[in-house]
Amino acid sequence: MSHRSEGRGGRPISLKGRIVAAIIVAAAVFLGLIFRLWYLQIGQGAAFRDRSDLNRIKTVFVPPPRGIIVDRSGLELVTNRPSFAIEFIKEDAPDPIGVVRQLADILGMDANLLLSRMDKQTRRRKFEPKLLLKDVSREVVAKVSAARYRLPGVFVSVTPTRLYPNNQIASHLVGYLREVTQAQLQSGGKDYFLPGDMAGQSGLELTFDRYLKGQRGRQQVIVNSTGTRVGELSSEPVVPGNTIQLTIDRAVQQAAERALEGREGAIIALDPKSGEILAMASAPTFNPAVFSGDISAGDWAHLQSGKRLINKAIQGTYPPGSVFKIFMEAAILNERVASPGERVYCPGSYWFKGRQYRCHKKSGHGSVNLHTALVESCDVYFYTMGQRLGIDTIHRYAAAFGFDELSGVDVPHEAKGVIPSTSWKRRAFRKGTDQKWYSGETLSVSIGQGAVSVTPLQVARALAAAVNGGRVMKPILVRGVSAGDSGAIDSAIGKPILQKEVPVSAEVLALVRKAMVGVVNEGSGTGHKAQLDPELKIQVGGKTGTAQVVGMQRRDAAKGAEAGYFEDHAWFAGYAPANDPRIVVVALVEHGGHGGAAAAPLTAEVMSAFFQGQRSRGESSLTAHQKSEESR
Amino acid sequence: MSTLRSVRQFDWFLLCVLPAIPLCGLIVLYSAGFNPEGGSLKIFSLTFPVASVACAKQFVFIICGIGALALAALIPPDFVRRCAIPIYLIGVALLIGVALFGVVSNGSRRWLSLGFVTIQPAEFVKLGVILAMARVLSNHPPSSGGFSLRQLFRPLCIFIPPMVLVARQPDLGTALVIGWAGAVLILFLGVRRRVIVGSILIAALLAVPAWRSLHDYQRQRITSLFNPTQDPRGSGYHINQSKIAVGSGELFGKGFMQGTQTQLEFLPEHKTDFIFSVLAEEWGFVGASVVLFLYFVVLQRMVLLAGRCQDLFSSLVIFGITSVLFFHAVVNVGMVIGVLPVVGIPLPLFSYGGSSVLSTMFSFGLVFGLSRRKRGGSFQNARSLR
Repeated sequence: MSHRSEGRGGRPISLKGRIVAAIIVAAAVFLGLIFRLWYLQIGQGAAFRDRSDLNRIKTVFVPPPRGIIVDRSGLELVTNRPSFAIEFIKEDAPDPIGVVRQLADILGMDANLLLSRMDKQTRRRKFEPKLLLKDVSREVVAKVSAARYRLPGVFVSVTPTRLYPNNQIASHLVGYLREVTQAQLQSGGKDYFLPGDMAGQSGLELTFDRYLKGQRGRQQVIVNSTGTRVGELSSEPVVPGNTIQLTIDRAVQQAAERALEGREGAIIALDPKSGEILAMASAPTFNPAVFSGDISAGDWAHLQSGKRLINKAIQGTYPPGSVFKIFMEAAILNERVASPGERVYCPGSYWFKGRQYRCHKKSGHGSVNLHTALVESCDVYFYTMGQRLGIDTIHRYAAAFGFDELSGVDVPHEAKGVIPSTSWKRRAFRKGTDQKWYSGETLSVSIGQGAVSVTPLQVARALAAAVNGGRVMKPILVRGVSAGDSGAIDSAIGKPILQKEVPVSAEVLALVRKAMVGVVNEGSGTGHKAQLDPELKIQVGGKTGTAQVVGMQRRDAAKGAEAGYFEDHAWFAGYAPANDPRIVVVALVEHGGHGGAAAAPLTAEVMSAFFQGQRSRGESSLTAHQKSEESR
Repeated sequence: MSTLRSVRQFDWFLLCVLPAIPLCGLIVLYSAGFNPEGGSLKIFSLTFPVASVACAKQFVFIICGIGALALAALIPPDFVRRCAIPIYLIGVALLIGVALFGVVSNGSRRWLSLGFVTIQPAEFVKLGVILAMARVLSNHPPSSGGFSLRQLFRPLCIFIPPMVLVARQPDLGTALVIGWAGAVLILFLGVRRRVIVGSILIAALLAVPAWRSLHDYQRQRITSLFNPTQDPRGSGYHINQSKIAVGSGELFGKGFMQGTQTQLEFLPEHKTDFIFSVLAEEWGFVGASVVLFLYFVVLQRMVLLAGRCQDLFSSLVIFGITSVLFFHAVVNVGMVIGVLPVVGIPLPLFSYGGSSVLSTMFSFGLVFGLSRRKRGGSFQNARSLR
């Protein structure tokens, strides 16, 4: 059916074809729209659904309070405090830049600094806050709160942060936190770290990060386009980090740190029976709080000076000097290369293959036996006996006492040190002539010099084995890990661990101990200054060490600043009470001079603190006991 | 009696299919305008509590629109023809009035204050242009082979001046509608091939200066169409969020009132220009296709009615109205699904808005009125058209 209208000149124009064409065009266009819908909704539908979820689901993380670290009796070493930050939601401010300028004005800061900090932070969605100022003082919080009506969009947030009470106690041991590194982010595993998290970077904060960290709370909330929370999908509560109880005794630790004040060196104190470390100090020390924010150039230079960040008790390796003679003596007796009564004459030096090896006492000790040789620290006696033992036997005994190996202590970056041997020389050197062991070198090793290097912790562990009946214990730092009120997390933590037994008879060890008591208590002994206050009625045993940094001639010739640098390292390794040892203390003072003069008094200070603490604790428990007796 | 008879002369197929569109629209608008805290609708001094104010108001608009439709349907075709030119002239006069004394709002001069009421003449002019074009074209139809350049002078003079006036307000959307209606009516009657080729060449030459004369925001809307992710927070934001809403609806949709993009207000203008996204998000490909199909059925029926009229004027008016409806639907949906630039054009009978509902329904009334079957022989016509 065609409808006709009159065209110009009377000819009708047919609309039929045009109608059909119009419908076909319309159908084609609508079909095109439907195809597009199919592509968006079916082809890409799943992807768009994800994007719509990304729009509406926001994951909010609540940072967990990090576990605190306490000493063996529960006294705080490291704890937490609230840290305030100033954050800003741009969309809540009609004029964001004006608000930031106003804030800068109120705080007397450079507005451009805040603006550039704000621009650097990219956000995934609208209405996400940007961090303007981190860890601000309460004064700043007060100023911002007072002006909050002039600062729309600005708010104060609170997160728990580390607090180091007690004047930065045990900084090296505890370690420090710093924003997680790229490498840690990648190695931490899924969701363990988030960018911006604080992570342990050294010390116990690093090794026990998994316990201390806690679990961040995670809330999946539904937000609308203005970022307002309209519902909740799921939530995981915050789990605070576990409390770590150390074997450290805060009073002993403080005494050790006080003793080292103004010096460079390390002190380590441990319980010889269990291997529990009572104090571990390294000087100079640092303030761990410095690492929580940006480090200024001045702070950085300060941290670098005096190897401040090195924990010298476990990372520093030094020649042990005469302290080594304790273990030499055990070897001599056990190998029976000399009888306890055999006498050696010391004229002040020892000639070997046309070379003179000096004794520290130029005038000589005269005739010495095993006991007096240790008491007076006669080098000539040990040159003689070292020659008889041979380097590999010396190495075998030193290794039996735990030198030349890692003790396995729970803080990172422990050093291994060196006890030379013929096989070590072959491994350590390339050239054939260098690889050969010269018997003259054995003489140096016999008095703890030459290539011998040990850490203060190794000395303490070895001395503990010498006085506890030959048991080499693993040095323990952590007594237990507990989660709030629910008690211990892992009952294996804190148990004493026997690593090995020294193959030396009990009689030999008794003779060695007797000589060490002589060092401190006999008239000719070198370690008088390690004696404790007579009122305590506690006898101390030990050995001094004066480790040469350079040859004696060179040391004596040096002057000025160089003289200080070439000055000997002072050692003292002691234990008490002599009859039933309960504490081993090793002190090392870098370039301190004579061990007996520079190091022995430090161990005495630490031991006094320990025994005074024991006594007052004993008294208080006694009084409590008495009171309960009386009330009965 | 005569009224009843004239009602029976209306196209019953269209009358049955047409209400489906605003009904679907009300359902979608209920969800889009839903306020969990509730709202209230005020009619004079009466207040009704309603969950979705937009839906309730739209319902009132549609009731009023039915009145407007009935009124328009009952106007005798001859009267419409006689009024065509005066209506057009009033419209153009109002546009000039806007240009001189108009009220500026949101950077454009679109409203005219008449003291007691503020009107937007552009809406009114659309119909005026269609009527005037139909009148002029039916009075001076083309010779066989289509319009020559000289014959085109008169129709061009009809639609170009109001188009330019509206474009300068600026209201690009309505200007495009006017231009489209004029051009489609001319092409419907045919244009000589020479003229078509020539005008395509001129258009190509004019494209660069035209692009330059656009406002920055208008240009940005066009560029962001081709690269919406370039600036997702800026001009591309609307398109992106709309595509996310549409795409995430998948086959069956997220369900009535369950559209997250809509309910959480990520979707901008979701009650007006982006209402189709709400439909696509909550009812999926199935729902969106059904509604598109309804529009197509209505449009093709109107085109058939245009071909069935007794006179060329009525045919042209119906075809003009159909073309405007088509343009609105296609440009709106095309914008929402990211194939056409963002132009503020509502989806007829779906988007919330009183003036759009009233003018659309009034237009439908004209379609019904002008396509009335005359007594005798008309039934045959109707059957053969199906």
